Amino acid sequence: MELRFFHFYPDLMNLYGSYANLLVLRRALEQLGHRVTVEAVLPGEAADLSGADFLYMGAGTERRQKFALADFARFGGDVRRAAEDGCAMVFAGTAMELLGASVTDAEGTVYDGIALGDFTSVQGRRRFVEDVYGKTDLFDDPIVGFMNKCARISGVTTPLLTSLSMGFGNEAERGPEGFHRGNVFASELTGPLLVKNPRLLEAVAAAILDRRGSPAPLPRDDWAEAAYAVTEEQLRLRAQGK
Amino acid sequence: MRKVLAILVCKLGRFVGKLVGKGSSLPGKAALRICPDILGRVQLPPTVIAVTGSNGKTSTVEMIAAILRADGRRVIYNKEGSNQIEGVTTLILTHAGLSGRVDADVLLIESDERYAAHTFRFFHPTHFVITNLYRDQLTRNGHPEWVYDAILPALPPETELILNADDPLSSCFGRGREQVTWFGLELSAISLDGPTGAYRDGTYCPVCGGAMTYGFVHYNHIGDYRCSRCGHRRHEPNYAVTALDLDGGSLTLDGTYTVPLAFRSIYNVYNILAAWSVCRRCGVEGGRAAEVLGGYVLLNGRMQTFRLGGRHGTLLTSKHENSIAYDTNLRYIAARKQPCGVLVIVDAVSRKYFTSETSWLWDIDFDLLNTDTVEEVVLSGRYCNDLAERFSFSALPREKWRVVPDITDAAERLKTSGTGELFVVTCFSDRDKLLSLTEREA
Repeated sequence: MELRFFHFYPDLMNLYGSYANLLVLRRALEQLGHRVTVEAVLPGEAADLSGADFLYMGAGTERRQKFALADFARFGGDVRRAAEDGCAMVFAGTAMELLGASVTDAEGTVYDGIALGDFTSVQGRRRFVEDVYGKTDLFDDPIVGFMNKCARISGVTTPLLTSLSMGFGNEAERGPEGFHRGNVFASELTGPLLVKNPRLLEAVAAAILDRRGSPAPLPRDDWAEAAYAVTEEQLRLRAQGK
Repeated sequence: MRKVLAILVCKLGRFVGKLVGKGSSLPGKAALRICPDILGRVQLPPTVIAVTGSNGKTSTVEMIAAILRADGRRVIYNKEGSNQIEGVTTLILTHAGLSGRVDADVLLIESDERYAAHTFRFFHPTHFVITNLYRDQLTRNGHPEWVYDAILPALPPETELILNADDPLSSCFGRGREQVTWFGLELSAISLDGPTGAYRDGTYCPVCGGAMTYGFVHYNHIGDYRCSRCGHRRHEPNYAVTALDLDGGSLTLDGTYTVPLAFRSIYNVYNILAAWSVCRRCGVEGGRAAEVLGGYVLLNGRMQTFRLGGRHGTLLTSKHENSIAYDTNLRYIAARKQPCGVLVIVDAVSRKYFTSETSWLWDIDFDLLNTDTVEEVVLSGRYCNDLAERFSFSALPREKWRVVPDITDAAERLKTSGTGELFVVTCFSDRDKLLSLTEREA
């Protein structure tokens, strides 16, 4: 089966290995025999999202996030319609904030988001830079990752991580984190969160494949599983104060 | 009175600390508690040089000190690890009389980039050298622009900035300022046409987000950039490396002084250039500065050699969480053009704090090791699986890399798995785990 992916702003929004999320997803689907094309969406250049199977945007600095938003606004309607249509998408790190109603920077300037969700992000002078260990309703395995943000996010009623035992969530220490609705996955976890969490990779792949009526389990990635086991143990022990 | 007490406590604390081998930040911390504005109450030397940036701080400071001392100046400076306000306070008060007068011609400070504004709240450097700003220690620093915003308040208008013309981000410090001296590396044999690496932070302008074009690049996104939208561009350097022969091991400063390179790394070139620029600004004659730089061997040498079994090895210390440091060392290995093995160790991400964060591995351009001369790459340490996952997406053929989790087992294997040079790429936090298994060379 042909799968059509869109990668928003691959150089602009690519903090700390964000691109790896797309690599690992693509490889897993190709191993199942699918043909995956990835189209880069660049600022100011035309893109036709119709027929998309997956949309992705990675993390960027606060300034680059605003540069990205200035362009991304034109895709707001298309992305919302794609979400309603069940298109799978991952918005990682600061890209998550663009899905909300607004982003307020540390100086107080308010930028409109694409309002796919009705949450708001307010950036400040304090940065949350820390390991994260949390739970999701999607599967049993804990989620591991790294937070690197300066925003407090209010108004999320359907978080991706329902609670954390380590790290700052959307708006509270150890509170819920991220946003999940239908096949839209968003999290402030920065970097290759789909590499670090094989179950989350499976959940995203399932969202893509189920929509096309072709569900199949992903091949096992031994290195990723072993890496997850080490980090999960390290963070669990840390969260338990050991 | 509090001033005198703070100075006394600091001096006493430093004396005792030296006896028991303790670090140099505690006495300063105690002094700051007694007299929080003590650094505003002391009489500093006429020249105060600060050095900060993502890479090269310590080496640059050491070279500046060596040149200025050879020029007959009395220089005091802080050693690695004491580059926040407490360590700086210890340095200053230890060399102050009870009146608060610091007995030196030059105060030279390596400053932590994130806390520079805090350190320089009560006094301002006469010269501020910023070596570069790029992805480094995300688990403390957030990201380079966050660090930029943290440094900015530490740069009052009267301070002369000495900036890297080739770095699109840290060069922004010079925008709208008058007292700026630029240093840069001109087009040379190592220059490339455009940015390289696993990610492209130089694709877009840090000022306006416009697309940038490059005349040449020396490594990653460091080179001759120009924004097509707002005009942010590389400044013409006031001080420059005008010719560079990394293979032969020499560089030419300002078209006149040719200096041999003890360590043939692009980093070393920029550190030399930064030190040269500030020393020239401080009035050191070119011939004298070049003479010192030519005979200079890095005190905190990041390159050590050893023997492992019958094999000769070189340790290339690469800061974890700093992809450009890794890239530089990987490029060094590829440029040696001799059959070799490579051992990459990621066991503890940091020696100073806990983290299990490995995102930065994806920022490293391991494809650089995909050469005919690299015979085998061994991945080891607690995070060897993360390394393996990263390598599974690299250009290296699967048969070229293997995973040996235990560092002792990896060393054992490497004793006999090849005969060529063994390059070990790892961080301060992990290097002794390997070095303890080897015979060190002097």
